[in-house]
Amino acid sequence: MLRYTVKRLLQLAVALLGLSLLLFAWFKALPGGPENRLLPENATDQQREALRAALGLDEPVWVQYGDFLGRVVRFDFGSSLSSGRPVATELADRLPATIELSLAAMIIAVGVGIPLGYLAARRRGTWLDFTAVSGSLLGTCIPIFFLAAMLKVVFAQELGWLPTTFRLSAGADYTEVTGLRVLDGLITGEFDIAWDAVLHLVLPAIALSSIPLAVIVRITRASVLDVVGEDYVRTADAKGLKPSVIRGRHVMRNAMLPIATIIGLLLGSLFAGAVLTESVFSFGGIGSFVYQATTERDYPALMGFILVIAMFYVAINLIVDLSYGLLDPRVRVRS
Amino acid sequence: MRTSPTPVRRVLAAAASAAMAVGILAACGSDGDTGGDADSAEDFDFSCPERTDGTPEADTAANESQPFVFGSPGDPTSMDPVLASDGETFRVTRQIYETLVDTDCTDNVPGLAESWDQNPEGTEWTFHLREGVTFSDGTALDGAAVCTNFERWANFKGGFQSPNFTYYYSAIFGGFTENDPAMGIEAESIYQGCEADGLDATISLSKYTSSFPGAFSLSSFSIISPASLEAIADVELPAADSPLPEYSQTAGTLAGTGPYVLTEWDHGEQQVTLTRNENYWGDAAKVKTLIFRTISDETARRQALEAGDIQGYDLAAPADVQPLIDAGFQVPVRGVFNLLYLAYTQGQAPLEDHAVREALSYAVDRERIVNNVLPPGGLVATQFIPPSLEGYSEDVKTYDYDVDKAKDLLAEAGQEDLTLTFCYPTDVSRPYMPAPKDIFDMIASDLEAAGVTVEARPITWVEYIPTTRSGECPLYLLGWTGDFSDPYNFLGTWFAAESTEWGFDNQEVFDSIAAANTEPDEATRVDLWKAANEAVMEELPGLPLSSSPPSIAFAANVYPPDVSPLTQENFAQVYFTTGS
Repeated sequence: MLRYTVKRLLQLAVALLGLSLLLFAWFKALPGGPENRLLPENATDQQREALRAALGLDEPVWVQYGDFLGRVVRFDFGSSLSSGRPVATELADRLPATIELSLAAMIIAVGVGIPLGYLAARRRGTWLDFTAVSGSLLGTCIPIFFLAAMLKVVFAQELGWLPTTFRLSAGADYTEVTGLRVLDGLITGEFDIAWDAVLHLVLPAIALSSIPLAVIVRITRASVLDVVGEDYVRTADAKGLKPSVIRGRHVMRNAMLPIATIIGLLLGSLFAGAVLTESVFSFGGIGSFVYQATTERDYPALMGFILVIAMFYVAINLIVDLSYGLLDPRVRVRS
Repeated sequence: MRTSPTPVRRVLAAAASAAMAVGILAACGSDGDTGGDADSAEDFDFSCPERTDGTPEADTAANESQPFVFGSPGDPTSMDPVLASDGETFRVTRQIYETLVDTDCTDNVPGLAESWDQNPEGTEWTFHLREGVTFSDGTALDGAAVCTNFERWANFKGGFQSPNFTYYYSAIFGGFTENDPAMGIEAESIYQGCEADGLDATISLSKYTSSFPGAFSLSSFSIISPASLEAIADVELPAADSPLPEYSQTAGTLAGTGPYVLTEWDHGEQQVTLTRNENYWGDAAKVKTLIFRTISDETARRQALEAGDIQGYDLAAPADVQPLIDAGFQVPVRGVFNLLYLAYTQGQAPLEDHAVREALSYAVDRERIVNNVLPPGGLVATQFIPPSLEGYSEDVKTYDYDVDKAKDLLAEAGQEDLTLTFCYPTDVSRPYMPAPKDIFDMIASDLEAAGVTVEARPITWVEYIPTTRSGECPLYLLGWTGDFSDPYNFLGTWFAAESTEWGFDNQEVFDSIAAANTEPDEATRVDLWKAANEAVMEELPGLPLSSSPPSIAFAANVYPPDVSPLTQENFAQVYFTTGS
């Protein structure tokens, strides 16, 4: 297992190097430079040139890439050109919001999706199955952006049950520990903060969970239907095992393999959805930061963000791979 | 001024409280020794509309217990305002720090300086400071404190000289005492020194430009407590891409004289919290806690206001204004201080032909754009400066909409089958150009009606400026929001010399602008600016389209601040009202 992990980490390093080179070249090839956002529209051409020179943007691309790589190996992502803050600090400030939102969405998707998928499979052909399947079809069809806006209009604006924006109410007295507001509120005993954070999390998390929820329902249903037809389930039933044991030990455990894979993939893709959801709810995550960095040609911020996201993706997939061993003894034996 | 995510060129300066009478957005009249704006009285109605909402009773309990939360379109960048050039920073810093000169409507009025004098050459500016003003750290404001600030800026080293940090300093003063070659600034500094004498401070310059005294009202040139500057004297900024110093990102280091004090900047929550300065020299802030939170999406800002999560926000979409008013929200109309134009690049044939430019100008129905795309309070522009500036001329040639005349002129010029590429920006909205595509569509249809074939060329904003500057776009939309009261801030940046973006070489125009810019005598200068505006409109390098006020919205239960054409609202005036 250790060898496998090391090998995967080495693959990660090579993948990141290749990715960074490609993206760097691509960003630099895009027309327009950051000086056009950093300076007012009536700044003179001399002022624009002065800034390009001061930022080193007039150097050849390979020199700039060398500088970038030199900094990255020292864990220095440089500073965002638009905010003037270190990229690492920007990410550290904003990533917890995205992580909290993605986790909340995934908890909803898994917590609702797996039982619903299971029930749909066990009550195949009933109204419940029909509702779950068509509901999940709807979930994958509605754009997150639209769903988020609708939820906001109904539950925040019209009914006034939940807040429309942000992660905490204005002026909330909050002590930061991990950056995950709900968790921090629980850790520090500021339960009012934790509750406030939950209220702010509900709508964006529901919006963001729609696609993974739909996918998990369908995969669970299909996977359970597949497994219940297996001989070993029939055998377990024949030898008189209790239905709860058959469900837990034989059906769900075997059905979980494809579900675990898809959860890993979905967790990664949640970041993409989070960009839209955060924008609708002004959730303060990496969404608006990345959007701004793209439109402003903020190269250091973009590169830092992409490297971090790439590492997340690979790490999540690594964890999913490793979790196979826990779910399926055959994988453990082979490795 | 640079703008952040939701792009909005934002303007200047200073907190401004005592100079403005609560309840009335005062008429444009200067109290400074340098006199007023010759044109302001006649232009008052549309420059700065008078308030009609009275002074409702304050809810004192709410003012003390509830924060006033304002939704800003972007994050501020630095709590040391000299290191910023964006409006979102200045929106916050002008509540904390103040400048020597303030702005009322668009006129220069006393700020920290009660009055000021200039020598006849305009190269020495003596500011007579108010008595009894203290910084929030308890130290007193005097002439020496002012000089400490000017000396600090002039002697910036290394990355502090980079235009992405100190754009306004180098733009106004040319350069620094010792220019750092790595920062690319070559111009010599026009700042010669500062002398303090009790409550007087005299700034010496090597030459006069019409930027003064308006430039002293820029929020970048806020006066900060020398004692607090002492604490950061050793801070270095080695390069143009170095992170901004820590002190500029947190509360507790710099002290100003403004009605509020910075208590927290939570970058994660994108929230800046200010608390009332209990020892403020002027009228104390009504609301104890003022919070600015960033909501970059304009629809999200509106929804947050409607749901009561915030009590005000800036840059309401023009289409949202009437529904907000109908729903009981307050959308006070700002005066205008910007200009949108349609440029004719004369390097692109046949736009060098004056008759063709005239024909295109007659073809565009500017009234329709103002009535359909711009927010309430928008104006048709007749020249390249907004009406509240000195030197606005009533005698310019105006090219009023006349499609038949346009067709005739095109026919006379032999251009009945004219095809022109027309550039517009795609991913941006500016205060002077709230919906570029809509404005483009209207002008394009007008031109088509006159027989011109229009080829659309949409361009992203980050490419737009270099593309238009290079002279590639025969027709394009662009504009500017003024930084301070100075016609050169508009005319000079466009028409001071030959450029590829306009592509014309008319020495008469260039000379008329130079003459006005360097004339220290106000009455003569106003006449020279009028002549310059008339010369520009004879040349017709482009068609001035409109001036439009960026819309700001407030909840029904608050008394909003006097809205400012320069978007420099003073939030110390805000309070919660009873009956809410």
